[in-house]
Amino acid sequence: MKVKNNKKSAAAEQWSAPGVKSSPSRFRNPIGKYKIRRGPECIACGKCAELCPEGVHVKAGAKMEKPRDFYCLGFCCQNNPFYCIDKCPVQALRLVVNPLCETLGDYRWPSDLLISTWYMAETGEVPRSDIEYCIGRSNGGFDKMRFNFPEKMPEPVIPDDEISTTIELNRRNDGRPRITIQLPVYGGGMSFGSVSLSTMLSRARAATLWGTFGCTGEGGYPEHLAPYDDHMITQVATGLFGVREDTIQRVRIVEFKYAQGAKPGLGGHLLGDKVTASVAKMREAVVGNALFSPFPFHSVYSVEDHKKHVDWIKEINPKALVSVKVSTPTDVDMVAVGSYYAGANIIHLDGSYGGTGAAPDIAKKNIAMPIEYAIPKVHQFLKDEGIRDQITLIASGGIRTAHDIAKAIALGADGVVVGTADMVALECVRCHNCESGRGCARGIASTDPRLSEMITIEWGAQRVINLYTAWRKQLVQILKSFGMRSIKELVGRTDCLYHLDYQREKDEGRRAVGGGN
Amino acid sequence: MAEETERYGNVKLQNPNFKTVEDSDSRFQDLLMNDSAIAQKILASRRRLIDQASRTTCYKAEEEGGCGVTGFASSIPVGGKHIFEPSVQMHNRGNGKGGGIAAAGLCADDLGVSREILDDDYLLQIAFLDPAAREQVERECVLPFFKIDSSGKIPAVDDYRDIEGLETRPPDVWRYFVRVQENVLKDFIARSGLQAMPQRKAEDEFVYQNSYRLNQQFYASLGEKKAFVLSHGRDMLVLKIVGYAEKVAQYYQLENFKAHIWIAHQRYPTKGRVWHPGGAHPFIGMHEALVHNGDFANYHSVSEYLRQRNIVPQFLTDTEVSVLLFDLWNRVYEYPLEYIIEALAPTGEMDFDCLPPEKQKIYRAIQASHIHGSPDGPWFFIIARHDPYTRRYQLIGITDTSMLRPQVFALQEADGVQIGLVCSEKQAIDATLHSLSQEDKRFSPIADKYWNARGGSHTDGGSFLFEFTKDSSASAAADFTCTDKFGKVISTPKDKLPADRTIEIFSTPAAEAVSQMEKALEEKTAWQLFQFIRDNLARWDFNTLSWCCQRISAYGAAGDDCREKAIEALTLLIDFRYDTGAKKRSSILEILHRSLHELFAGVPKIAGKASGRFVWIDWQTRAKLRSPKKTETTLIIYAKEFPPEGDECDARLICAAFELGWKRFMVYGLRGQRFQGCGLGPDTEGVRIDVYDSSGDYLASGIDGLEIFVHGNAQDQLGQILKAGKLVIYGDVGQTFLYGAKGGEVYVQGNAAGRPLINAVGRPRVVINGTCLDYLAESCMAGDPLKGGGFVILNGLEFDDNGAIREQAAPYPGSNLFSLASGGAIYVRDPQHTVVAEQLNGGAIIQLTPEDWSLILPYLQENEKLFGISIEKDLLTVNGARRKPEEVYRKVAAVKLAVLTDVDDDA
Repeated sequence: MKVKNNKKSAAAEQWSAPGVKSSPSRFRNPIGKYKIRRGPECIACGKCAELCPEGVHVKAGAKMEKPRDFYCLGFCCQNNPFYCIDKCPVQALRLVVNPLCETLGDYRWPSDLLISTWYMAETGEVPRSDIEYCIGRSNGGFDKMRFNFPEKMPEPVIPDDEISTTIELNRRNDGRPRITIQLPVYGGGMSFGSVSLSTMLSRARAATLWGTFGCTGEGGYPEHLAPYDDHMITQVATGLFGVREDTIQRVRIVEFKYAQGAKPGLGGHLLGDKVTASVAKMREAVVGNALFSPFPFHSVYSVEDHKKHVDWIKEINPKALVSVKVSTPTDVDMVAVGSYYAGANIIHLDGSYGGTGAAPDIAKKNIAMPIEYAIPKVHQFLKDEGIRDQITLIASGGIRTAHDIAKAIALGADGVVVGTADMVALECVRCHNCESGRGCARGIASTDPRLSEMITIEWGAQRVINLYTAWRKQLVQILKSFGMRSIKELVGRTDCLYHLDYQREKDEGRRAVGGGN
Repeated sequence: MAEETERYGNVKLQNPNFKTVEDSDSRFQDLLMNDSAIAQKILASRRRLIDQASRTTCYKAEEEGGCGVTGFASSIPVGGKHIFEPSVQMHNRGNGKGGGIAAAGLCADDLGVSREILDDDYLLQIAFLDPAAREQVERECVLPFFKIDSSGKIPAVDDYRDIEGLETRPPDVWRYFVRVQENVLKDFIARSGLQAMPQRKAEDEFVYQNSYRLNQQFYASLGEKKAFVLSHGRDMLVLKIVGYAEKVAQYYQLENFKAHIWIAHQRYPTKGRVWHPGGAHPFIGMHEALVHNGDFANYHSVSEYLRQRNIVPQFLTDTEVSVLLFDLWNRVYEYPLEYIIEALAPTGEMDFDCLPPEKQKIYRAIQASHIHGSPDGPWFFIIARHDPYTRRYQLIGITDTSMLRPQVFALQEADGVQIGLVCSEKQAIDATLHSLSQEDKRFSPIADKYWNARGGSHTDGGSFLFEFTKDSSASAAADFTCTDKFGKVISTPKDKLPADRTIEIFSTPAAEAVSQMEKALEEKTAWQLFQFIRDNLARWDFNTLSWCCQRISAYGAAGDDCREKAIEALTLLIDFRYDTGAKKRSSILEILHRSLHELFAGVPKIAGKASGRFVWIDWQTRAKLRSPKKTETTLIIYAKEFPPEGDECDARLICAAFELGWKRFMVYGLRGQRFQGCGLGPDTEGVRIDVYDSSGDYLASGIDGLEIFVHGNAQDQLGQILKAGKLVIYGDVGQTFLYGAKGGEVYVQGNAAGRPLINAVGRPRVVINGTCLDYLAESCMAGDPLKGGGFVILNGLEFDDNGAIREQAAPYPGSNLFSLASGGAIYVRDPQHTVVAEQLNGGAIIQLTPEDWSLILPYLQENEKLFGISIEKDLLTVNGARRKPEEVYRKVAAVKLAVLTDVDDDA
């Protein structure tokens, strides 16, 4: 089979961002931060519907519809002239925090982050309410870091359309194609089997339209992905499931998954009830039997074996870039250098905050080095080696928001990979039931045929597109605040960050959220 | 001293039971009683060395990763240029940041000293990273202690930049032939309480401690390193540089410097801009040098273990602690080599149970005492060693118990020269022999035997060594032997003789042979021609055989049909095993390959005008690659000068040729190049690749429909993710064979190494006629073989020296058969029921059914066609009697892991 030529380099010049399209929740009762309770006093005068700019209140004929309180601005609306609670002639409306928020989410993804991400996935905009959309409540990691935004926007203020968020994936002089992606983000691998086909296709489509990449995960390459070949990364993982020369030749990037931060020291473990007939067929395994990927590649027990392995993939596809995905042991910096010398174009560090849909519960805990330690360690080590500018450093593992992305880059990464955030865009509620075949209430992490029907590709793709659009706007604002014209200027700029433990927050004048909206 | 006894209590074997149990091994008793006192004293005397040593040196500084290692021991001394070739071929295993060599069994003349001095003195070599430091180093560490019999700067080229690829200036090295001054030694012995030791051994200890002190003062404690000791053993030396190993030979002008034993190492460090070679291998103990491929998981534990014995590493790499362990067990505890190997690679699992009871007792004691010092993780050691007390020289290869690193051993024995080789890759062995055979016709480019070691086993102990006694007056060594860990001798048949390679012109044989040969050429098919030669070969002499082969290649030049017949006939002779009479098979193979090469070389060149079915291309003419013309069918690729991997390798040429329309390929002249058959993608029906000479790793990986035939032994990682098609190997195959394979039809004439078919899925159908090291089909998920799934047939056979089939000692000797498999099956030829449930890890041994037999029979029939292994006579005949299939074959089937199944292994 002829290796596909890079048709995309010309197309990249003419790329334009996909549009935002409103993509409301699939469910009848979407979850918002606030609840508006309409009492029996209501006379259906429709005043609230006239007033509310967010469309919370809708009059249908003679009646008022149930309030779409997931759009409500909440208590911060109190001083607004259109605050419906005050303006209701019969005081029929009450505003409370949605009690669901007490049980929704966790420290890494508190309810605010989940709801704000849903909002962004629906609208492509950051929330206008007081909902938190940048920081989680983990009391560690990126949540303890803030940007050092200057008091004033540096002048002259750079227009938004002159700010670039593109990054290069091949910075080596190895004769292989240059690949530019429009955002410093691409999709993390989620195998067919751990997630449904519609989930895979939604992400693939969104990545394609956004001029970036998605990844197959370690479960093989479903033929449905063919339209997205140019924007897919084939993952070669230790079980070698579904890996064929064909799946290596049809893509532009191949990712070696040596390890995953969510389960370091273990390979993938797809539990038996997720090995449905279609999954078993794709992986050529036995239905209902758990599938283990070994921890190491059995053909790679030493770094020169790794080089051989990389050479092998490069021989099969002389145009493909190679990404090496590793978790974060204490010698991750040496691993990075070793991978460079083995011929990798991308080093992908997967930290411990990441998720997985293919591991037993006991494996999903925080082992390996947190990503915020690993990034600067590797960045600095590569600089000392004199090779930092020849390799693309990608970080992943719990990247949730545009601010997390920017922080990872400021610490020293070139870009990030996201996984869970895409799931949240598809309305994941973080219930942690992914490993069971019918556990996913949202039809995302399941190949059960009935549950898989819950997502249409058109809707799913648009949700992710909207989220990325909202992210990009925030990244532009962050760069603008620092007077930077390109995301590449932010790489390694730890001076733009401060850590709460090591620096007292300055006076109220410093804003925790970047200049602009 | 009481305090020291307690602190060093762990030097003695802990288990109190051993004081009371009757033990017939007197050596063992000696260890308990006498030597432990001396051992304690030696270790105690090192206390003052380490007082200044840093407290935090239990962590590795240099992260090795991997490398390539190679070594050979020859009964006649040979020049350093011969370690050049294999080192060059292993470039892809290193990254030019560090390489080193060691030589043992040296020539007094080459060193400019008398034989007595070479035999008696310590050969102290010091590398001066800072040339200005020499004066101080000598003043403080050499002159006050040693009687110097000879010294000087070793020769080197004038300007290191003259050596292409050498970017960092190697250090100046001074060589001193020394003995310790008498009063210095007396004083040392008195201070350290070593009066009970033989004086010469105390002198060894002094030299060791002095080198340690020098390293500490001028290397380990400094930021800016000044100097360090390269080696200090008797009749051996070490040199290392920042650069590829062969540059050592070039820079220090060792091309014609002769030694019996050479070892080399290509380093792949992943840390730091290296500007000095201190961290490169080999590292030394006393009279041995060690190189290492691998990476320990328990460096910290090993360092702690050594630290408890007052040994603190200075260079902070795995390799250094490996040889420190060796030296500890060798010189301080005075263990025999067998126990040292046991301490490094403990026998476990079923192999331990198979040991005789006396060995179990001793090994248990060794393991209990030294497990914390036993290196864990992938490793393979090659050690060049001189034991001056027995005057034996040894080249030792030891593999870890999980066999995570590739290793190949080889032996060649002829009248007058014997050579043993051990390498990470077979093609490095072939490169060494090739280099030697060009210079000295007594060496042959093909070894008589190639094999792997089974780590931690009771069969070979995961270790083989080549040893000899050096006879100073004679030119060749005496008593050259190859043994395994237990002392079992490996040898080649003495009744088979090599060809005289100095003869290049062959006289016409007797008229009858000539006319038969001519008739055969004209009238017979290739197969019949092969049969004719095979049937007569045993009684022919080398001259007749060579003449016949020359006739074949001359005949092949006549035209395409002749050429095709000739190639096929010679190939069949290379592939099959048969009686060779009094002639060595390796010599026959050399003759056959020579004629085959001549035949290939006579094929019309791609840039030329002539056209027929065959077209020849090589590295020089690669740019001329084009589509086949109308008559052209077969592309012959002379691979010798192609790089081993990368965009320009011969495997990529095959892909490009395939895209242009070529379907038949013959690749020859390979020296370890990789990836043949990879990259052609799907839609390869009708493609056939024949591979000759030393093919490399990853061959046939990912093939999807094509056929590939390897006419010889194959290397590692073959058939990874193989999807469909046919792979035939006329020889042995290496590590992780068919990893993640998804289908295909595969036939192996010989053995596989570690982890064949691991993680296989789908429907591969494989016949392995030999056995394998261990971990066969681990995590196999290949469905139900009776419903279209995959399986492996394991015959456990081998060819004897006369080409006849015989059973191996066990069809499966390892302890991990079909572990965690959820699909597929293993059909093992096991009429003696040697395979037991203890070797399984989740499978079940069940009776062969008629259905099973119908399933595997066609594959055994194809196997018979390919290799001549007869179903009736070889497979189903046991001890002379023909048996039923279900009495000979047993099935290892997958079981649902949650269900307990009784093993049903009695017919």
